[in-house]
This record gives sequence, C-alpha cells and structure tokens, in this order.
Amino acid sequence: MSGWTQFKAILRKDLIRELRTRDMLVSMILFVLLAMIIFHYAFTVKEGADLTYFTGGMLWVTFIFAMLLGLNRSFAQEKDEHCLDGLLLCPVDRVTIFFAKTVGNLVFLLIIQAVAVPVFALFFVQRSFLGDLLPFLAVLLLADIGICSLGTLLATISMNTRSRDLLLPILLLPLLVPLLIAATGATTLVFAEGIGFGSVVARLLVLLGFDAIFLVAAWGTYDFAIGE
Amino acid sequence: MSDDKDRQDGGAPLEIEVEGLRKTFGRREVLKGISFGVPRGGFLSIFGPNGAGKTTTLRVIATLLTASGGKVQLAGHDVREDPMPVRKAIGFISHNAMLYPDLTAQENLRFYADMYGVEDREARITELLERLELSARRHDVVRTYSKGMRQRLAIARAILHRPRVLLLDEPHSGLDPRAVDILDGLLTEIRDEHTFLMVTHNIAKGLEWGTDLMIIENGRIAYEHAAGVDHETFSAVYREHVHDGSVV
Repeated sequence: MSGWTQFKAILRKDLIRELRTRDMLVSMILFVLLAMIIFHYAFTVKEGADLTYFTGGMLWVTFIFAMLLGLNRSFAQEKDEHCLDGLLLCPVDRVTIFFAKTVGNLVFLLIIQAVAVPVFALFFVQRSFLGDLLPFLAVLLLADIGICSLGTLLATISMNTRSRDLLLPILLLPLLVPLLIAATGATTLVFAEGIGFGSVVARLLVLLGFDAIFLVAAWGTYDFAIGE
Repeated sequence: MSDDKDRQDGGAPLEIEVEGLRKTFGRREVLKGISFGVPRGGFLSIFGPNGAGKTTTLRVIATLLTASGGKVQLAGHDVREDPMPVRKAIGFISHNAMLYPDLTAQENLRFYADMYGVEDREARITELLERLELSARRHDVVRTYSKGMRQRLAIARAILHRPRVLLLDEPHSGLDPRAVDILDGLLTEIRDEHTFLMVTHNIAKGLEWGTDLMIIENGRIAYEHAAGVDHETFSAVYREHVHDGSVV
C-alpha cells in the first residue's frame, strides 16, 4: 500500500461523509452569514459609511471562528464512534493522516470562502477588486494553509482531552496572531487600495513562513499528538 | 505460561510474546509486569474483572497504547520499534465496531481495504459481505444497521486484509443470540487460519474457544492454565482470584 493511496482514502472518506451529512458545512456557512449581518449592524454607525478598511479584519476573524467549529466537529466524529482506533490500527504513517485531515479541512474552508467572500464584498467593499484577484487568492490560500495545518495539529491534541471544545480555541487563537496580522493587513490593502502583488509581498512571506513552521512542526510531532 | 514454553521449545513458535509488560497512566500502574506467550494457531482467552488491565494489554499489543516498560513482540516484530508490520498482521474486533456510521458498508470496507493495501479489493469485499450475509444491505449507510449487523460488518473490517492474528475485545458484548451464532460460526470457519487473543467476561465463550486460559487481576496474572478446564471448576477458580463476582 502506498501513502498516496492512504491519503486519498482518508480524504475521500472525510469528503463523502461531510457532503452526505453536511454537518460541518451548514453550521460553518450559517455562522459566517450571521457574523456578516452582525458586523454590518455593529459597524454601520453612519448610513453609507465606508467599511472597506475594516473588511480584512472582519473577514479573517469570521473565518477563524468558523474554522474552530469545523475543526471540533471533524475530530469529534472520529472519536465518538471509536473510528479513530480503526484508523490508528491501520499501517499508515501518522503524517499521512495529518496531511489528509489538513487538506480535508482546507477544502471545507475554501467552500465556505467561495460562498462568503462575494457576499462580504457586496456588504462591505466599495470598490471592485477583480483586478487584484490574484494577490487576494494568494493571501487566501497561504492563510488557509496556515489555519488548517495548525488547526488540525491542535485539534488532534485537544481531542484526547475532556475539555476539547474549550482547549482548542485557547491553544489556537494566540498562535494564529501572526497569521491574522499578515492576512488582515494584506486583505485590507487588496480591498482598499488594490496595488497588486508589490504591496502585499512582505505579508505573503510572513504567511509562507508561518505555513512552513507549522507544517514542519506537525511533521515532527504528529505521531506523538495523535497517540495516547 | 509453562505450556507455551513447551510449545516454543518443541512446537509452534510464539506469535505473540509479552515480557514484563508494564503500563502506567499518570501515577496509576495498570499493568505490573505481566509475561505470557501465544503460539501460532493458539487461542488465548483472558478473563478478569473491570479495570484489571485486560483491555490495556490488548491495546498495547495492537499498538494503540505505548508500553511503559517491558517488551511485546507480534509476528516477530517489536510493537514499539516496528509497529507497521504489526499493524498489517493484526485484525481487531471490539464491541465498538469502528465503522463510519454515515458511510455505507461498501464504502467503509473500501476505505479500510485502501488503508491496508488489499489488492483484490472489490472481490474481497463482495466475498466477505456474502459470507456475513450483508450483501443485500451493502449500499445502506451503517447508521441504519442493527447492533448485530454492525458487529458482523466489524468482523469483515477486521479480517479484510487477511491478518495472521485476531485480537478480540469482548466480541460478544451486546450481541443478540442470532448475532452470537453468526460470530461463533465465523470464528469456527476462520479458527485454523489465525492466532487469537480474546479478552472477555464471558467464561463459557472463553472456555469454548481458548486453548489457553488466563486471569488478570489488578495488573498481574493471577492464574494461567491450558484448556480442558470445565466451566464449574474454572468459575470456582475465578471466584477464588477475583472478588467482584463478575462471572457470566
């Protein structure tokens, strides 16, 4: 058996299960839409006020909290049905499990974003940023990889604890601060000023560094994290 | 075990070898240095009260827990140092089916077949589903199955990759009589192909299947004997060693 076959099997299993039940996706999409409505009323102090400079922050705070919902659910299902034991009994490298779970979470986050970003832009952005779509997608992808890799690692650690729902945000949110700063800054620049890759390259490098650090950290520690 | 030692010297080699196994959770020592062996083709039935360390022993052998001390070998491989061949060699049947309830029987088995690298995947799945009388429901999600059907599917999951060793953790627990009959029928069919280690509270089943018997209490082996003990005698021995009266 190859790691690639096992990676595909875990990913396919997670996608089939989620697309069939829609447990995670529905709750995440609902959360994002509700957050947008709350933000709209909370920040609109004056009719017609330009909220473009707040959009990056609102967008990433919403995505991170939505992802917390998803991460908790994705591992709760494995644990509750004792399926995790079945998975761990398989002759599979634990890092393969990490990458499959991370990519699964990434797919779900991208689906949420495909729904949420156009609605966000409609609500809060007053200029067209279609010309800056490429830098925006680069920010989105790099930040998503960081959120999902760190989130998957920490969700795995917290799933073996009694207070997993509380522990995950306590562990995850402080560690996401550098990513949040870079992603928020880059997104706001794209939405508000739209001056191409040049303006966001430093922040993209921060995101790239963040991704590299936590992917390597997960590579080295996942066997321990998913064990006892 | 003295009988196992004899077989090691002159008969079948040991498929499972446990030496001085210790396991602690925090400051609590659950296993206090137990040693035993199961020869190839043997069937060891382990009894004991709740919390004695039976399931912990099984989970260490299955690589689901790491030993705090001692040595465990399965199919010639150290479970700690070389876990991959050990995982390939074992099938694990527990009272928890370890099946994804929102996937169909076929999807569950395809998933595990890919994880174990089963080459004749579709033929093997069809064969097992027919053997376990689940073919008609192969496209139904497992959530709709009865406990007995789930347990049958769990057996298919466990033997899908043709393991050498089957580890059974209370396999009869929660089954209706029909499901017990099917499980026993299947165990009879595959008895000669595998080495077995079964943890159970069910003395009748343990005596029926076991070629060797063991009682664990408080993390230590309290009693071990080759098969051939009748139910009454063994129950008396059990009560002598175990004081919670959990004899079935």
